[in-house]
Amino acid sequence: MALALLLACVPEASRAQVELTVHPSMIKGPLQAPVTIVEFSDYQ
Amino acid sequence: MFEEYDGRIRLVFKDRPLAMHTLARPAHEAARCAGAAGKYWPYHDRLFAAQPAFRRADLLLYAGELGLDRDEFTRCLDERRFAPDVERDIAEAQALGINSTPTFLVNGRVVIGATSIEEFRTIIDEALKARP
Repeated sequence: MALALLLACVPEASRAQVELTVHPSMIKGPLQAPVTIVEFSDYQ
Repeated sequence: MFEEYDGRIRLVFKDRPLAMHTLARPAHEAARCAGAAGKYWPYHDRLFAAQPAFRRADLLLYAGELGLDRDEFTRCLDERRFAPDVERDIAEAQALGINSTPTFLVNGRVVIGATSIEEFRTIIDEALKARP
């Protein structure tokens, strides 16, 4: 299955720049939204 | 919250099951199986509501409730088809130094831990203001 989107993020905490791989099914909201919230979470 | 900011927020979910949560890994893989059938977010919501009932039988039951093809879903789960994808999410989180959940990046700003709606609204409003 194709992976549609790559995001780069620069958190102040680590100053790391990491390319995130995101599957389109795990994205909600419009591509042009001014705010992107990436949630790292655990179901348990 | 997401509805409140209609069209102005894009939400991206990343799997970050913690090592001590042994039931979480199959749940994350199951959600991706549901996603392959176009039901990621309904399954995601079902998992949070069901927490922590994540035995195999539970995961199959939720898929059935959402009308997913039972055989296909079962195969996906048992083959652990999305295990590498979950693994990659974990690796990406670790590369960013994200070791507790939930952690949010709001236009790159790190927000760690469960945050009140009020605090979150403030953070989102600031992010909106910073952009034209």
